[in-house]
Amino acid sequence: MTPQTTLRRQRPRTATNPPTAPSIPWSHHQGSSCGLNLDVDASLCDEQEQTLVEVFNKECVLEEKDHTVPPPPRRRGAAKSFSHLRHPVGGLRALGRRLSVSIRHKSSSKHAAHEEGTTGHRRNVSGNGGDSHSPWCREPSINRRPSLNSVSALHSFYAPTTLITAPIPGRGLEQPPILPNSLSAGAAARAAAAAQNELARAERHAAKVAEQRVALDSESGIGIDLRDRSELSVLSLSLSLVSPANSLDPVAYLPSEVMAQVLAYLDPDSLMRAELVSSAWRDQASSHHVWRHVFRQAHGRHRASATATKKKQSSGLGKTMPNQDWKKMFLVRRALEYRWKEGKAAAIYLNGHQDSVYCAQFDEDKIITGSRDRTIRVWDAHYPWACRKIIGPSPGNSSSAGPMNNPAQQSTGKAPFLTISPPSSAPDEAEPFELPGAENYHSASILCLQFDDEILVTGSSDYTCIVYDVRNDYRPIRRLQGHRAGVLDVCFDDRYIVSCSKDSTICVWDRQTGALVKKLLGHEGPVNAVQLRGDLIVSASGDGVAKLWNITSGTCVKEFPSKDRGLACIEFSEDARTILTGGNDKVIYQFDANTGDLVQELEGHEGLVRSLHLDSLNGRIVSGSYDMSVKVFDVNTGALSINLPGWTTSWMLSVKSDYRRIVATSQDSRAVIMDFGYGLDGIELLEEW
Amino acid sequence: MSSGTPSSTITLTSSDGVDVTVERQVAERSVLIKNMLEDLGDSGEAIPVPNVNEAVLKKVIEWCTHHKLDPPSAGDDDDSRRKTTDIDEWDQKFMQVDQEMLFEIILAANYLDIKALLDVGCKTVANMIKGKSPEEIRKTFNIQNDFTPEEEDQIRRENEWAEDR
Repeated sequence: MTPQTTLRRQRPRTATNPPTAPSIPWSHHQGSSCGLNLDVDASLCDEQEQTLVEVFNKECVLEEKDHTVPPPPRRRGAAKSFSHLRHPVGGLRALGRRLSVSIRHKSSSKHAAHEEGTTGHRRNVSGNGGDSHSPWCREPSINRRPSLNSVSALHSFYAPTTLITAPIPGRGLEQPPILPNSLSAGAAARAAAAAQNELARAERHAAKVAEQRVALDSESGIGIDLRDRSELSVLSLSLSLVSPANSLDPVAYLPSEVMAQVLAYLDPDSLMRAELVSSAWRDQASSHHVWRHVFRQAHGRHRASATATKKKQSSGLGKTMPNQDWKKMFLVRRALEYRWKEGKAAAIYLNGHQDSVYCAQFDEDKIITGSRDRTIRVWDAHYPWACRKIIGPSPGNSSSAGPMNNPAQQSTGKAPFLTISPPSSAPDEAEPFELPGAENYHSASILCLQFDDEILVTGSSDYTCIVYDVRNDYRPIRRLQGHRAGVLDVCFDDRYIVSCSKDSTICVWDRQTGALVKKLLGHEGPVNAVQLRGDLIVSASGDGVAKLWNITSGTCVKEFPSKDRGLACIEFSEDARTILTGGNDKVIYQFDANTGDLVQELEGHEGLVRSLHLDSLNGRIVSGSYDMSVKVFDVNTGALSINLPGWTTSWMLSVKSDYRRIVATSQDSRAVIMDFGYGLDGIELLEEW
Repeated sequence: MSSGTPSSTITLTSSDGVDVTVERQVAERSVLIKNMLEDLGDSGEAIPVPNVNEAVLKKVIEWCTHHKLDPPSAGDDDDSRRKTTDIDEWDQKFMQVDQEMLFEIILAANYLDIKALLDVGCKTVANMIKGKSPEEIRKTFNIQNDFTPEEEDQIRRENEWAEDR
């Protein structure tokens, strides 16, 4: 068995671009600790298959979504034509209200403070005169019952009663309404009559009303723009018989909590434009409350519990705390998305391992890597990315500072915009591990690992897994023994630890006790990768078949064969509906887990696809390949969105990503952080802890 | 509360003193009224709605009548409610009123606690803002621009900051 990638099919892309892999010294990786075992004796090779591949490709290009144009803003014209009957009446009614109130006040109380009711903007009017319309006074309405006789009750209740009949001038409060209150019949006639009655009056009172309006606004205490009001003079309302466009500023008219609800319906760009309308609008449109909704709309919110197997990664939604600057967070997020779109990232190299780095996982705080040098290293995820801990035999400190990347390769894709390579740093006083017996370490390469808040599980060429206590300085808890060859991949959830091996078996262990629960037999070659979702396991084998298993029954439920050769990696979406596999066919297969159908193939790699990571939250599939590139595909379209070739000098062995970075490990003994958020102002606001 | 059994209609009194009789089921689209009826029982007396005038009240009742059989809003999840500004056809027509009436309906829905109507109203206003330039928004609502050009520039810079890098 040899990992050498013999090309069995002449694909156009490999023909035009000869792989550089042969120049890579990999020979010492043959044998038991190569970390990946691919059965290469599949021999399907016919032209039909190739055309099928091309058809798939075309399909995924066509699938690209076209963004639908947002619905056109509601046409005021339409509204006008629809309500042309009602409108003049409404305008008149408003006019009538205003006028009659002023009249009423004049006749009943010759008070200077009677202006409240005289405009259509009955905001924050309180106290004397009692504008019963103010929507904010939610006081109990008992004192507004008609049965009350007090003067204030007259003001607050009886007086408005006359308003509705106002088109016919009333001499006193008790005068019975002349017009029926119902607008459902004879509206036009009434409107005309009312117009005649009121126009003259309106003219007489126009000046006075304007004065009163100023008084109202100045006491309203809500920062109403006086200029807006002037547009609503009684005369212009009268004219609204002709043109019903009486525009009102909703920010002034509606209470801020309601306006916030309005604004929360806007898309971010509309919202930012709304900020430019006026200073009152800016205050409303830039509020944290509104932007919290916008942010969550765009990026989701914290999920209550992350029970998913390996999703200990940050979603970049920021910390949970009051008074966050949601708008800034949104802008940072947008800048970050832009970096992803442009493929603009900084390279930060983690130097220290003495040999191939086979595996890595990270969270906001740390990066943990495992290497052929038999050590596990814990790195700080922040500047200066120091190595915090080395688990394993103390290494001789002979850091090989070779070339970091491969500029020749990078001409075809995105090179880092900035390169940082901190010197190899051993943790302070590399404390000798307690009980320095070999039994606490792996005695061979670390091939795979996974951690969460509690445990770290590693798998090794020494046939075993070790479970470490993350919260207790990575003390080993137990060793899982049962495989008869190297442990090639491991994963776990709250109940089970699942490991797969070169011995072609999959072991299911009890997370709490370490007991072997089940052994899944069926693969005919080394099992290179496993993933776990609830009661389902998917596995990918060098025999070229991916299998879906049910843990309870211990049986294989479905098979997802590759077209040609061995499989190296597998991803299982969190909703357990999509399976991605990659391997020696150089493509990424996407299967529907329910139907077993091959949905699409993602093309682009020119070498074996060694590692896959699905970030469904951000719609990204990240892959690492023996062609020395890391590529990012769009989940929805399957299109290649970023090509990051040659960021290290050898095969890419493991890739993981979160909202802002990809961590890739390489055969050249380095891990590289491809940090798309590097140097972005405010990027720390997105960190979740 | 078995709605409709004690008396199938109730009377509401608008702010301007007009009594409007409605089916109890219709009136109970308003959580405020529903709670009031549940707390106080239906005395048969008119319920005053001091913050809503007759014209607006009738409009609100028209909406409640049309929607009286709607299931109670399923998810009270804030975010799912905000997902879309789609408005069904009847509601769109219903909301084709002048701005003052539109805002008054929103205020009434807010006061009476008729969430679905408040949503429709807010969406309607949001749709009037959506996709418009600041100047178009100002025109729509007759707003004066009170920014200095410098202030406007400053805001633009803050918001476009993201795309520059």
